[in-house]
Amino acid sequence: MHAEPSKPKQFHALPSIITFVSIFVVLLLIAVLNAPTMGGPKVMNSITVFFQEVKATALPFLAVIAVGAAVIGLVAARMINKVWGNTRLRRETLTGFAFLAPYLLVTLTFTIGVVLFAFYISFHNYDIFTRPTWVGLANYAEAFKGFSDSTKRDFLQALYNVLWYSILVVPIQTFLAIQMAVLLNKPMKGKQIFRTIFYAPSVTSSVVITLIFVWLYLKGGYINALFNSIWGLFGAKWTTVNWLGDPRGLIQMIVEALGGKIPSTQWFFRGPSIAWMAIMVQNIFTTVPTFMIMFLAALQDINPALYEAASMEGASPREMHSKITLPMLKPIISLVVVLGTIGTLQVFDQVYLATKGGPLKTSLTPVFLIYQEALGINGPIHMGYASALAFILAVIIFIFTFIQRRGIEKGTERY
Amino acid sequence: MTTQAEALDFGKQANKEARQKKTVSSLLRYLALVLIGLVMLAPFILATVGTFKTDIEIIAFPPKFFPATWHVENWVKVWNTDIGQGGTFPRWLLNTGFLAVTVAFSQVIFGSMAAYAFARLSFPGRDAIFNFMLGTMMIPGAVTLIPAYVLMTKLHLINTYWSLILPGLVGAGSIFILTQFFKSIPKDMEEAAVIDGASHLQTFRTIILPLARPAILTVLILQFQSMWNAFLQPLLYLNSPDKYVLNVALSIFQQQYKAQWNYTLVGAMFNAIPVLILFFIFSRYYIEGVAYAGIKG
Repeated sequence: MHAEPSKPKQFHALPSIITFVSIFVVLLLIAVLNAPTMGGPKVMNSITVFFQEVKATALPFLAVIAVGAAVIGLVAARMINKVWGNTRLRRETLTGFAFLAPYLLVTLTFTIGVVLFAFYISFHNYDIFTRPTWVGLANYAEAFKGFSDSTKRDFLQALYNVLWYSILVVPIQTFLAIQMAVLLNKPMKGKQIFRTIFYAPSVTSSVVITLIFVWLYLKGGYINALFNSIWGLFGAKWTTVNWLGDPRGLIQMIVEALGGKIPSTQWFFRGPSIAWMAIMVQNIFTTVPTFMIMFLAALQDINPALYEAASMEGASPREMHSKITLPMLKPIISLVVVLGTIGTLQVFDQVYLATKGGPLKTSLTPVFLIYQEALGINGPIHMGYASALAFILAVIIFIFTFIQRRGIEKGTERY
Repeated sequence: MTTQAEALDFGKQANKEARQKKTVSSLLRYLALVLIGLVMLAPFILATVGTFKTDIEIIAFPPKFFPATWHVENWVKVWNTDIGQGGTFPRWLLNTGFLAVTVAFSQVIFGSMAAYAFARLSFPGRDAIFNFMLGTMMIPGAVTLIPAYVLMTKLHLINTYWSLILPGLVGAGSIFILTQFFKSIPKDMEEAAVIDGASHLQTFRTIILPLARPAILTVLILQFQSMWNAFLQPLLYLNSPDKYVLNVALSIFQQQYKAQWNYTLVGAMFNAIPVLILFFIFSRYYIEGVAYAGIKG
């Protein structure tokens, strides 16, 4: 075996063609699997039935994918042609792609393929069991009809709800997580034990925590009992609150306490309901520990010499916290805020288990609505509409995270 | 002489004051820590005690912390309850455990292969694929939910475990953690092995994998936990009681026994205890995993 000198101009026809054909075929197979035909188990009972359906509805979709697949195939073929002459490179390339193959197949089928399908279907009327029919932008328009027609305001109200959710939950959980991490970062005995105990709520499934909280929030539950005894200390009487069933909004209650009134037609001025805020508290309880651990790891990476120098200069602990700790934590704060926003905009489990979107739709969320529309929980199945909602939500998430990243990066420039 | 003694004395006193101040502040800190710890554990403690109450005690107001008599038989009863079509807690525990273990191992196997390619091999297209992978991590789960469900109906995979195993075979998150870890392993040993004529598969198996044990354990545990705690996908894909996983079963169990919170809480404990035990044993790896995904992300 001797080292071959690389000859860039030589054309390795056979491996290039094999690469092109195999990539093209695999990508098209994945596309056919995800082709926008009617769904349901019957479609794939026989190959002929399936291809009839593909021919009937999916040819434009497949044509677009085929062009993409051809381009990717060509790029790959050119690359193989380039590396083929060099034994070491050829070996690394083939091993590399062999090792990546399982990941690529899974992600192309279950992530990229299904996303393309969902995008295509979001322009169609689709109930799984019949052929999709083209409706253009109607599904997207439907989502925003609530602006003019208040009977169709579900999606707008769901967005309104999760916006409040993000605005309240993200800052509070970030703040609490930093405080707890700072508290745990001091040298002390029993650190591991405290860290483990603090983290326990994040390990347990959200279903378990939500069910326990539904029980705690009952009219005769521990939360009311707690308020009852606190109020009792001051000689006042606590009126029992139906935590998960109370639709009164935060702003509404403030206005009503001042003698005003917000009619139900102006629901968008009422603020988050008591039920919704009760779910927020529960969510904060489960997410704070995860973020605390991230902050704790970041704190341990800060050079202790910084604090020593500052304390020699006579800085107080508070100054050190705001001038050293917080600026050093900036990248992690950014990450936690972005992760928190992505998570809060997609709340589902808590809503499904605790309130089913009620009372008066004040805990309805986009993902819960998508779930309902896609499975036809309240009426017929609207897969196309549900997909359109999912894409609108995705765009909102992208915009939010982009703005937050920019904002926090700008904030860092000062230091 | 006296001044010196006075100064010394003064110094001692100042030292003492500072020490006192330090003890007070550390006492306060312990107090805060114990309080937070109590808040964090309170729901678990209340629920655990609640499992031993009668159905009347559990919703009585004001609630009493301890039950009049400890009804251990609640646990036995829930363990033996069949909600129909073979849906029992032992069965659900088995289903959930099987799925979580399968997915965790396949994530480690396929994930570490991909991570080896990203961290150790150099070939054209590697960085592009890595960036593509980071990009896919940005896609919100809500978008893939519906079309994945349609795909599963077409493939006849609804109500089979394949619907959860196939998409979970390998994921960007695991690959990312493993890639970062592989990159931090020094290359000396592999170079020696390569000179001895070892293939990539051999170096991967005999050198990288043994050295990466902590990262592999971390991924194993994180993936086990995330499959154990998954809710929306199993809720969509599995629809017969003997196929349910614990989370889905628990939500249906609660619907059936709405008034009997003591039973629902026992069910919740069956769900929580295995993960909590695992967490207390492997807490170091859990915490490292969360920190790793955060810092290096």
